[in-house]
Amino acid sequence: MTIKELFRSISLAEIVTAMKLTFKHAFVKEVTLQYPREKLTLPDTHRGALGLLRYEDGVERCVGCDLCESACPSHCIRVVSGESQEDGVLRRLATEFYIDITKCVFCGFCVEACPVNALGMTKLYEYSTPNKRELLFDKPKLYDVGEVYYKEAKAYLVAHNQEKADEQASTYRYRFPSFTKS
Amino acid sequence: MGKKTEAVIAEADKKIFNLVVDDKSVSVTEGSSVFDAVKKTGVELPAMCYHYSFSPFGSCGICLVEIEGKGNNVRSCTAKVADGMIVKTQTDKMIDARKKAVEKWLIIHPLDCPVCDADGKCELQDLTYDLGVYDIKKGVRKVVAEDTRSPVLDFNMERCILCGQCINICEEVQQIDALAFYKKDGKTLVGAHEGVPLHCEFCGDCLAVCPVGAITSRFSKYVYKPWQMKKTRTTCTYCSDGCAITLETEGQKVLRVTSDLSYLNKFGHDVTPGDSHGGLCARGRFGFQFIQSEKRLSRPLAKIGGKQIEIPWFKAIPQIAKRLTDIRNAYGGGAIAGLISGRCTNEEVYLFQKMMRTLLSSNQIDSAARYGHINSILAMQYALGLGRSTTSGKAVTLSDVIMIVGSNITETNPVASLRIKEAKRRFGAKVIVVDAIETNMMKLSTHPVLVSAQSEAAFLQGVIRAIITNKWADPSFIEQHPKAFETLEKTVLSLSPETLSEKSGVSWDKIEEAAKLLAESKRGTLIWGEGIVSQNGGWDNLLRLIDLSLLCGLLAKPGAGIHPICEENNEQGAVDMGGVCEFLPGQVPYEEGRERFSKIWNKPLPDAAGASLPQIIEKALRGEIKALYLVGENPLETLPDSMRVREAFEKIDLIICQDPFLTRTGACADFVLPATTFAEKEGTFTNMEGIIRSVNKALDPIGESRPDFKIFSDLFRQLGGEAYRSVEEIRPEIHSLVPDYFEEGMASSNSDPEKRTAHLKHYFANGFEKEAMKRYSNMPSPLTKGDQGGCSDTPNQQDSLMRLVLGQLIFHSGKLSTKDKGLMKIYNKPILRVSEADATALELKNGDWLRVGQGQRAPRLRAADQSPFLSSDVELPIEIMPSLPKGTVWFPEHFTDLKDLMPVTIDPVTHVPYFKSGFVSVKKVPLFDLTVVASQTGHAAPAGHAAPAGHAAPAQVIESMENINS
Repeated sequence: MTIKELFRSISLAEIVTAMKLTFKHAFVKEVTLQYPREKLTLPDTHRGALGLLRYEDGVERCVGCDLCESACPSHCIRVVSGESQEDGVLRRLATEFYIDITKCVFCGFCVEACPVNALGMTKLYEYSTPNKRELLFDKPKLYDVGEVYYKEAKAYLVAHNQEKADEQASTYRYRFPSFTKS
Repeated sequence: MGKKTEAVIAEADKKIFNLVVDDKSVSVTEGSSVFDAVKKTGVELPAMCYHYSFSPFGSCGICLVEIEGKGNNVRSCTAKVADGMIVKTQTDKMIDARKKAVEKWLIIHPLDCPVCDADGKCELQDLTYDLGVYDIKKGVRKVVAEDTRSPVLDFNMERCILCGQCINICEEVQQIDALAFYKKDGKTLVGAHEGVPLHCEFCGDCLAVCPVGAITSRFSKYVYKPWQMKKTRTTCTYCSDGCAITLETEGQKVLRVTSDLSYLNKFGHDVTPGDSHGGLCARGRFGFQFIQSEKRLSRPLAKIGGKQIEIPWFKAIPQIAKRLTDIRNAYGGGAIAGLISGRCTNEEVYLFQKMMRTLLSSNQIDSAARYGHINSILAMQYALGLGRSTTSGKAVTLSDVIMIVGSNITETNPVASLRIKEAKRRFGAKVIVVDAIETNMMKLSTHPVLVSAQSEAAFLQGVIRAIITNKWADPSFIEQHPKAFETLEKTVLSLSPETLSEKSGVSWDKIEEAAKLLAESKRGTLIWGEGIVSQNGGWDNLLRLIDLSLLCGLLAKPGAGIHPICEENNEQGAVDMGGVCEFLPGQVPYEEGRERFSKIWNKPLPDAAGASLPQIIEKALRGEIKALYLVGENPLETLPDSMRVREAFEKIDLIICQDPFLTRTGACADFVLPATTFAEKEGTFTNMEGIIRSVNKALDPIGESRPDFKIFSDLFRQLGGEAYRSVEEIRPEIHSLVPDYFEEGMASSNSDPEKRTAHLKHYFANGFEKEAMKRYSNMPSPLTKGDQGGCSDTPNQQDSLMRLVLGQLIFHSGKLSTKDKGLMKIYNKPILRVSEADATALELKNGDWLRVGQGQRAPRLRAADQSPFLSSDVELPIEIMPSLPKGTVWFPEHFTDLKDLMPVTIDPVTHVPYFKSGFVSVKKVPLFDLTVVASQTGHAAPAGHAAPAGHAAPAQVIESMENINS
């Protein structure tokens, strides 16, 4: 031990330095988020749970084209498509739609693949449950998610430049032809 | 196929032209198109409307080329080559022109690719991508409602690009001419003529060639993306054509069936004359839903206390083995019998007969070939020493004269009939069709010969007489067998032309014309089918046909041949593998091969002569049969009531029924084992040409069902035989017993039809004179009303007697197709067809009901409660068919309503039960409007039908129809 080190230890210089840093942080804005009392504000591009969307008039956007299923790298989507004949109008739609959210890697490819912007990513991330089966999102559940988090999903699509904001959206829309039954 | 191939036939006469295509020199024959010349350089021009199977149409304007000296762009498919032509295909001008042509279609195309069934397998998508068409001018939507009026095919005319391929394939290849362009509200659309709902044969070839998604199948609409499906190439299970099909599956579900027509390169595929175009028929393409039918059995059933309950496999197999062993030990092998279906694979039939013969020491086995095809095989074995077709499909296409006797080939074997249509249209073959009913083939034929009912014999004798008296017979035959020819010459002269022409109902000139054509043909083909082999007098008629083919030299001339047609897909294979009591594997006669086979199999073979299907039933009635093993067979539904099958089955202690479905026979069986369909098994089928086609596994067995092979091998082990683990293990064994059967490439001497030769030494050696005398000097008159009907106890004098003919429909095959939802949607109506003359006489119109009763009141021992479905009279709706002769009614044999009325005659030689034609009494049912009844009883009335009220029988029929519909 040299004399210099001995002097430092007697004069408590180390503690002074440490305390200096400690008291400095007492005046800095806190970074820890007190989850679940406090929550983070997420950006619009956040990739959370998936939801299925409807048009403003309540018609399901999904046409059951299977492209999301083909795009999915983790094979967590399964679409069963069929035909609906409501009011004499023939159109294709998904009769069943499953997303196994435990397998989902939140890459957002399915949203990008969707030709009608029926899928949107919401800011929902709190879906933990004691029952694992609930994590297989089926069609009603996905539409529920889409309905509750419609704004977020829409914001995601707008942020990814896939859809225009609301006021423009009604003019900018491509709907697949539905056929009147002959 | 295609008009292009005419060039190949007379190639020698044509000049060779030299062209320069893109700086490469090519030489092609005169008459070829520029497209073909370009194809020869290895460049494939894109073209939307071009297809190898028909002649060029030139509607799309994409295959453009530049020809030096001509100002405008030329459509290469329709332009003919000239000597010294200089063709440029890849200039900037051409590429721009092609882009414009594609753009023209894209503007009106709806671009609904994600919801279109053709997405991913669309030629418009591919061309757009290949040519780089990126900016499309503002699109215009052509608004047309989707045409969903036909039961199978949906026409989405917004997507249609009017290439005309569907229309061309329908007109040129299928020769149905069901589709056409028509105008509606100023738009050109494709559909049935004048836009009526489409009702055609539904072969679905239009669906396969449609380059976009304009024609879609209702049975697999919106359920798939083409690239997601697993494709398995296998062989169709319906008729004996043995077409290659591709089962497209996702997971455990068959989503659609396609064929080579969908996958061959339509621009580049080089077709030689005689090649099949690769298409399918309605059964093959749309009859796939029975595989996933919810009526499939999933677990074995055992009858315990009078009720069938489910038991696990590990209990079922030992129980069956134990009971079979007990019966064999107690009563001997003579108390055990087995029947196998003509839809099992070769390996399964082999294993089944080996099990029956070695382990259960019973030779009482029979297969579905007994319903007719065995007649052909036995007659050909007897006369020629060769139990199979001596020609091939390719040779049939290239024949110059084709004679079809008693076969409704367009209905029974639709794809084989395309060969005859092609032979006639492309290569100018003369087609002679001999039948008692005016079939579709007869309407297309060059020489239709309408004989009176059941008098094919008189016609054939007339033809033979004409050949002999006019000295048209094959000289080499006379040289080789002078004695036989003399005998024939002597015997055929005993009946005068007038008698023969009167008996057959054909003028003598017509008989002579047919005789001359066939005798002087270079590559003649003689085809016969169910009208010969499953009608009274089948054996004699077959020998007449064989004599005729010998006289015409059809067995000696190259390219000529005789071709029997069978019904189920593997009837030929079932006989080849020894699935009948007469033959051991390889069509070795049982007595001859018994010693040899017992040495090879290391087990003694039973020395009894065995029993065929009618004999098994007779024996069972006498109580001699204690155990019956049915593999896919359903005698209760296929044999008429008068054979007393139900009574016979009640006397059998142990009935084991192995079938994918619970049939009416299965319902009274002691054990029911769930077998799989063809989609879930490995093996081979032998088609009617004798060519071996492989069957590949597309799905895992559904439920707990097992392939027949697995069940047999488990039983084999339980009964003390060696174990077979896979189908591959058994092939070397079959190969060693039946040389050449599974040789590499499957085109060995046995399976290559053209290498088969006939051996005539036994036929003419002894007794030919006596036989010929019997066959030709006295003509058995066809059954008349007096023979069968008109008995004293005919219930009502007002009833009129008519000949009822059971025939096949194009949409159905056997009983299997009635289990299929899709095919039942296309045709589910048990409708009686009545001739126009009879309809006028009985004052009937379409949709009226007719009461059909037995013509012959045979004594029947049957308690009333055992047959809940059938009272002695059946009432059926009718349909008027102009093609039927007077006094004949026709009913599809796939529906069981009428077969119990038929009388049965059993062939004395081959034991084939003949019940496809007979007399019934018919009477018009007084007309009531069913809607009134329906409103009273709460039953829905079937649309378009009126039925009598207050009668039990129609209610049953309606109920059965409703069951079918649901």
